[in-house]
Amino acid sequence: MAERPVLQVRNVSISYLARRGRVRAVSDVSFDLHEGETLALIGESGCGKSTLNLGLIRQLPANATIDSGSILYTRRDGQIVDVLKLRPQELRRFLWSEVSMVFQGALNALNPVLRVSDVVYDTASAHGMPRAEAKRRALDLFARVRLDPERVFNAYPHELSGGMRQRVLLAISLLLRPQIVLMDEPTTAVDILTQRSILDVLEKLRDELNFSVIFVSHDLAVAAEIADTVATMYAGKIVEHGPVNDVFYRPRHAYTLSLLNAAPRLSAGAEELASIPGSPPDLIQPPPGCKFHPRCRFASDLCRDKEPELVSKEAGHLVACHHSDEVLATSREVRA
Amino acid sequence: MSTVPAQSPTTPVPMAVIKPWHTRLRERLFGYAIRVILQGLITVWAVTTFTFFLIRLMPGNPVDIKIDQLMQQGIPYEIARNQAMGLFAFNPDEPLPVQYLAYLGNLLRFDLGNSITNPGVRVIDQIAAFLPWTLFSVGSGLLISFALGVTLGTAMAYWRGSVFDNVLTAIASILYGIPDYIIALLLLIVGGVQLRLFQIGELRGAVDPGIAPGLTLEYIGSVLKHALLPVSTYVLASVGGWILTMKSSTIATLGEDYIAVAKARGLPERRILTAYVARNAMLPLVTRLAISIGFVVGGSVIVEELFQYPGLGRSLLRAINSRDYTTMQGIFLVISISVVVSNMLADLMMGWLDPRIRLGKGHRD
Ligand SMILES: Nc1ncnc2c1ncn2[C@@H]1O[C@H](COP(=O)(O)OP(=O)(O)OP(=O)(O)O)[C@@H](O)[C@H]1O
Ligand SMILES: [Mg+2]
Repeated sequence: MAERPVLQVRNVSISYLARRGRVRAVSDVSFDLHEGETLALIGESGCGKSTLNLGLIRQLPANATIDSGSILYTRRDGQIVDVLKLRPQELRRFLWSEVSMVFQGALNALNPVLRVSDVVYDTASAHGMPRAEAKRRALDLFARVRLDPERVFNAYPHELSGGMRQRVLLAISLLLRPQIVLMDEPTTAVDILTQRSILDVLEKLRDELNFSVIFVSHDLAVAAEIADTVATMYAGKIVEHGPVNDVFYRPRHAYTLSLLNAAPRLSAGAEELASIPGSPPDLIQPPPGCKFHPRCRFASDLCRDKEPELVSKEAGHLVACHHSDEVLATSREVRA
Repeated sequence: MSTVPAQSPTTPVPMAVIKPWHTRLRERLFGYAIRVILQGLITVWAVTTFTFFLIRLMPGNPVDIKIDQLMQQGIPYEIARNQAMGLFAFNPDEPLPVQYLAYLGNLLRFDLGNSITNPGVRVIDQIAAFLPWTLFSVGSGLLISFALGVTLGTAMAYWRGSVFDNVLTAIASILYGIPDYIIALLLLIVGGVQLRLFQIGELRGAVDPGIAPGLTLEYIGSVLKHALLPVSTYVLASVGGWILTMKSSTIATLGEDYIAVAKARGLPERRILTAYVARNAMLPLVTRLAISIGFVVGGSVIVEELFQYPGLGRSLLRAINSRDYTTMQGIFLVISISVVVSNMLADLMMGWLDPRIRLGKGHRD
């Protein structure tokens, strides 16, 4: 992993205007993504993972606004641009050629009346890639994701199975050689064997083509396998961020610890499985102090009054918890 | 598979009798065509039979109606009856099954017979004279309102919630609720009587009298002038439905994943609008369009009568009023054939536009 950050996200906040009020879906999120790095984004449903991903490429729904922050992207030539300041035409050209996305549960992500080849050509011509090159590259990528290239290239989406479509989308996300691919639960809609083969293919492609990935997953085992770094999100904030082994084996945030204890494959044993009491907070009127304190067994008065900041505890391991040392001690105990 | 007859040892036995896919496709298409045509013929026959008996269930027959008319001029019943009987080549006392068989027999020879109330005039000639005007006026009305509805509906979906959308939605809903003959009457009363935009009397017929048909500016201008009111009526009466359907269909399409993905792929707005949004949003409208094309032929009976436009609808109304059975049968036949044909057209168009229901789509392995 090179040290150059290809993406620097700084203090990004995103909110939705809903009928009940303003939903703070992402608040004050900052992180770096390095060249070739795979960052796993984990957290409960509704904590803002998809919102953050869509915000990074400004593809949020119309009722969402990015309230503040900057998203600094480093082009291949070293030039740094703020994605939030791109004009519409610049943004259009930036999309997919610099950052592409595999959408969550996107079985319907291919236009039913167009052939896969049309999707490839559309994408290529929008970014000035010649047709012949697009075809050559698409066929190559289809073969790499273990599809029958010619057949898939000429197929309509309904002629492909769910797993095949998912692999087509993965291949198309790499068509323009982006530096970053955002993957929002790319394997949730497929069976376990297809998931396995998609992950294998992804790892292989990543090593060959050297792109960075932000990988959203509910499956911690998958995250542990594929990621270099992990960020835990809770109620729109990143509460812990660090190298995968640090976060998964020496968690310092009470929420990460609870998540790990709730996950079957990484915890010590079946008897240890514990669900997290309570439910995620209301994002319209979040609780004061640390947003996790109502569900946290380490909570103290300090947690109720003051929101902890995301600070570095050891090299590259950031955590936003007043009692991170206690949590670390407990997690050592559990895992011992 | 049929059993292979005993082969002489010299002829090699084929490994497997698998026909190439294009042969299979052609056979399938052929079978499909035969099925569709048979279905169509049966439908037309059923409708023809139904209308044959239905129109004879109406009170009175051509002779009765004529007797009534003559008696109103003060002619005594006996004389009126004799006159009327002599006037028409129609015997009201002939049993229905005999009439029906005779009709079917003629139909098989493509003979629609003569008009009962206009002796000597062939039904087919009447249809040939009136059909083009209906095709022209209702057809152009349909195409204009379809094009308008699709364009406006798409635009409203894109800018939904705007003033433009709200105003047009209200107008479209109101138009959708008004029947075409009310619109025709409103045009006549407001435009012709109150505002005096045109002379109602001058707009009767399909062209100004005394203009020789031909590709002259004068003739075309006159045709357009006379068609203006009926066409406006058809457009106003149907555009509301197209607008509302297209708007809701477009809104549904805009919410599809593949639109979000197309945007994220950085496609230009234009390409997304045409190949991704409009094309998918129009799918449900195409069936409706094709079916409406079938009803073009029937025209709009009351609207043509109101504007005295010489189309098939007006002559149908006249045939009904004088119980001109043969003319009515001829017109209903044309209508049912065109409805059946346009339904086939709808299937074909859907298959062409939507690969998911395309015929013989699969040589999936
Ligand atoms: N279009 C929207 N309008 C209003 N609120 C929204 C909208 N989309 C998402 N939200 C809210 O924003 C919050 C974050 O949603 P998001 O989809 O980012 O969650 P997520 O972490 O991706 O969840 P999941 O794991 O279920 O995909 C949720 O509380 C959700 O209710
Ligand atoms: Mg999500």
